[in-house]
Amino acid sequence: MQSHVEVPYLQCLSNEGHVFNGLSEAQLSILNDPEFLQEAYRWMTLTRVYDQKAVALQRTGQMGTYPSSLGQEAIGVAVGLAMSNEDVLVPYYRDHATFLIRGWPIRDLLLYWGGDERGSAGGPAQDFPICVPIATQASHAVGVGSAIKIKGEHQAVVTTIGDGGSSKGDFLEAINVAGAWQLPVVFVISNNQWAISVPRSIQCGAETLAQKGAGAGIPFVQVDGNDVAACYQVMQEALDRARSGKGATLIEAITYRLGDHTTADDATRYRPPEEVKEAWSKEPIKRLQSYLADKGWWNEEKEIAWHKHCDQKVEEGIDAYKTIAPEPAEAMFDYLYAEFPEVMNSELDRLYQKVERLNKEDV
Amino acid sequence: MTDQVSNEITTHEINSHEITSHEITMVEAVTLALAHEMRRDPDVVILGEDVGPNGGVFRATQGLYEEFGFKRVMDTPLAETLISGMTIGMAGYGLRPVAEIQFMGFIYACMEHLVSHASRLRNRTRGRISCPLVIRAPFGGGIHAPEHHSESTEALFAHVPGLRVVIPSSPQRAYGLLLAAIRNDDPVLFLEPKRVYRIERQTVVDNGQALPLDTCFTLRQGSDMTLVSWGASIRETLIAAELLSEQGVECEVLDLASIKPFDFKTILKSVKHTGRCCIVHEACRSFGVGAEIAAGLAEHALLDLKAPVKRVTGFDTVMPYFKNEHYYLPSEQDIVTECLSLMKF
Amino acid sequence: MKYFKLPDLGEGLSEAEIVEWHVKEGEHVEEDQLLVSVETAKAIVDLPSPVSGKVVACFGEFGDVLHIGDPLVEYDSPSEDTGTVVGEIPESTPASPPTDKKSSKRKKQASEDSSKTSSAGTNDQFIIGSAHASSRSNSMGQSKATPSVRALARRLNVDIDSVRGSGPEGRVLAQDVESSARVDQERGQGEQLRGVRRTMAKTMTASHQQVVPVTIFDVADVHKWEEGEDTTIRLAKAIAKACKKEPALNVWFDGEHMTRRLCSQVDLAIAVDTEQGLFVPVLRDINNRSLKDLRKGLDRLRQDVKSRTIPPSEMLGATITLSNFGTMAGRFATPVVVPPTVAIVGAGKMHEDVVVHKGSAEIRRVMPISLTFDHRAVTGGEAARFLEIILESLSKRQVK
Repeated sequence: MQSHVEVPYLQCLSNEGHVFNGLSEAQLSILNDPEFLQEAYRWMTLTRVYDQKAVALQRTGQMGTYPSSLGQEAIGVAVGLAMSNEDVLVPYYRDHATFLIRGWPIRDLLLYWGGDERGSAGGPAQDFPICVPIATQASHAVGVGSAIKIKGEHQAVVTTIGDGGSSKGDFLEAINVAGAWQLPVVFVISNNQWAISVPRSIQCGAETLAQKGAGAGIPFVQVDGNDVAACYQVMQEALDRARSGKGATLIEAITYRLGDHTTADDATRYRPPEEVKEAWSKEPIKRLQSYLADKGWWNEEKEIAWHKHCDQKVEEGIDAYKTIAPEPAEAMFDYLYAEFPEVMNSELDRLYQKVERLNKEDV
Repeated sequence: MTDQVSNEITTHEINSHEITSHEITMVEAVTLALAHEMRRDPDVVILGEDVGPNGGVFRATQGLYEEFGFKRVMDTPLAETLISGMTIGMAGYGLRPVAEIQFMGFIYACMEHLVSHASRLRNRTRGRISCPLVIRAPFGGGIHAPEHHSESTEALFAHVPGLRVVIPSSPQRAYGLLLAAIRNDDPVLFLEPKRVYRIERQTVVDNGQALPLDTCFTLRQGSDMTLVSWGASIRETLIAAELLSEQGVECEVLDLASIKPFDFKTILKSVKHTGRCCIVHEACRSFGVGAEIAAGLAEHALLDLKAPVKRVTGFDTVMPYFKNEHYYLPSEQDIVTECLSLMKF
Repeated sequence: MKYFKLPDLGEGLSEAEIVEWHVKEGEHVEEDQLLVSVETAKAIVDLPSPVSGKVVACFGEFGDVLHIGDPLVEYDSPSEDTGTVVGEIPESTPASPPTDKKSSKRKKQASEDSSKTSSAGTNDQFIIGSAHASSRSNSMGQSKATPSVRALARRLNVDIDSVRGSGPEGRVLAQDVESSARVDQERGQGEQLRGVRRTMAKTMTASHQQVVPVTIFDVADVHKWEEGEDTTIRLAKAIAKACKKEPALNVWFDGEHMTRRLCSQVDLAIAVDTEQGLFVPVLRDINNRSLKDLRKGLDRLRQDVKSRTIPPSEMLGATITLSNFGTMAGRFATPVVVPPTVAIVGAGKMHEDVVVHKGSAEIRRVMPISLTFDHRAVTGGEAARFLEIILESLSKRQVK
């Protein structure tokens, strides 16, 4: 009897941005694609700028609890760039990079975390919204995958999840059916080593999370989650499989959550600072920057210009967020049913009375 | 009106454990009760996400991991269905597990286990196997949290025969009721109103005295109106009672505390005395716990009622994102307005 | 603030190298005071302290590279654990309003009130279970009726509490309300008893429910009385003497607990009839007062009753009662004992009658006396002897 499973680990660039030996053609072609890499770099930077400003907004009381994606920009960007417009994203809640790439306005992302339902309305029409109840998105994803197959369509579904989420029944049940029915779903585990305060070591007894795919009968792989090139390549491969009817893939992207679980959490309570320091040395943006600089595809000038652009874009989004008129109280009654039931008018009346009274008091 | 102690007090002597007194918040009272029971009864164990070294995301299990170790304070993988299932297994085998579900919004993954198993194991096995378990979950809105973190769906569970649902409203009652819940041999859903987790401090004596379940608590006496509420809404209810008193309306305030089964007798006695009743709950109106109380009063207090039984509640909508949360949650003014109209009926 | 962590330095920069520390461990710093200079890829950035406080620890030395979020300085202040992972849990501070800014005005008021109630003090007091001993309704004299019948009563302008119910357990039915409404129309609306009339109705009802009354009748020979003798004072003195000899009739009796309290002094309640109704002021300690004093006291009581300035306290605490109805008409009666007293003397109209006196028929002035006593507490013998003393006292020409 054995429990050990061979799990391939993919990486292109070392922490310092040096190219590994023995890379595949596909990987090398990406490393030799300056356009793509620069685009990836730009998106990662924009994500981080947005992310840190979002944290600042929360800290200054202008937005609600927010989960930072600090350190996990590479996976999000790889997923976003690899997906086509027709593919369906079924995300969890830390996919800010992917959301931005797929067209969510910054204003909408901020609205969501700022406690306004209009934020969930943004993004591509077929994408599912942010999912807070852990791992439930996996079950949704295989539902979407089934529908695609039934309709005879050929796009793919990408669903993301954390290391903690991979412990949940929904996830295990979802990959199981994905394998049984050969569904066009790519499962991406963003293993950032921490489920709030619970470390990966006691989250699961298997050597890798990727090997759960073995139990589901689907191909599985680990990738360096901070290596955008490696992530992009493996995503392309997985999406190809899905789109061509070859079924699901399970990708475990190894990364590290450099920030707190959310702005209300304080990770210094349970994480040793040396560990965090070490993780910083592996962070995705610096690594790609080194490589690009070496190749002469990026420089100081471009960096400054791009940062200026990011700042501006994020500020515009923040402005839009701050200036949008708040939803009226009765908005909570909108979209409860396809058609507002008449019997609920009494509830609406009750609300109007309350609002009237509140307005009188505020005056 | 002094704190009267029920006839069924169980006093426990703990070896060389001084009985100490603490001025603490509700969440600290929860910790105190947990610590007390864990010291007294080796079968009591805790499981949940982040309950160990982190002490629970609300610090409800603070210090327990350090005192009792992983064997009795277990950080589980991220898996609520699993947590509820495991808790049932542990209880069935003889432990007294106290599981923490991080937010009520995540408890729905536990529903299958609670409804299909915890609530009926004793019944199905004719008493051979039972589930002396407690599942604790912070619930309710008002903390500006993202969606799914402000749920108040106690009615869903109250509707299940075989389950107990208990909701404390103050540090003292949290301590006494949690002890009762842990010692009780039935499956108990212990919902903690997180909005008032730290809002006030009370003196709680760590004497291991449990409060009775299935009993209301009379927080205020009055002869014009009976106000029934539980959880965080007790706060608004008491404030409303004072505001109404200034206008000459004296309210009797009852803390339901045990939602299922609930102490209808006390409510009835009070309504017979006052003739009017207003029920306050954060949860949405339709099919809520208030409806059950109102139906009971219609059945048993018809001749004593001087006005219809009213409910002041959240709206029949999805809990709105927090920007509009304040419209949703029943306020003291909502209660006052409703009561004044009842007085004029 | 406990820890000052390396903030976002902007421009996407995520790390910085420590160049120079400007403070030491143990030093006290002011807000905005320069803490440390760090060098980023772009520039040297000076980091000011966001708060005032004492620096307990400095993390990192010259040349160390730190990242966003790494702790730089630890202050000597309590840990600021938010104690949550989403949202904000409001903490207890004296009279601090909940977080919502929008309705802060309204809530400020409310929480000022709340600081008087649930947050005030370190304990809330609560009763386990009900505050009411029994399930009996709070309706002594309040009718039982369904809401629809109550509504009908309101519509027909009928006071439902005055309607006699013909339904089960005395419940008021619609037809009761309707006939009451008709009665009201035909015979005028029923007047709700108030004040002394109401008190009388309640007292008599209570007496009837509790007391076991027996009345002994006799006639006092008052032929020797001089002109202008004050009947009430004579009666009072007679009662006082009788109470001294037979104290069993000057007691308070509690039938529920079976206790009898011998009263040391005699406080005589005197029934006074007025336009408004029956008043029963109390003449205190009649045994130990001179005639003159008694007269003064009685006159004052009469005056106060007449002018309606008599305080309620003057009508409480009697130990025995006198009803001098004879000032108007009537000879014998069965006056009602007022609990907790056990006796009442009724004096009928003084008149001339043919009586047998020393063997022959004579016309003499007589006063009929009726003594009702509560046979739960007083024996026939005690009562008869009591009456005899009264008769004897009344038969004298004068008393002191």
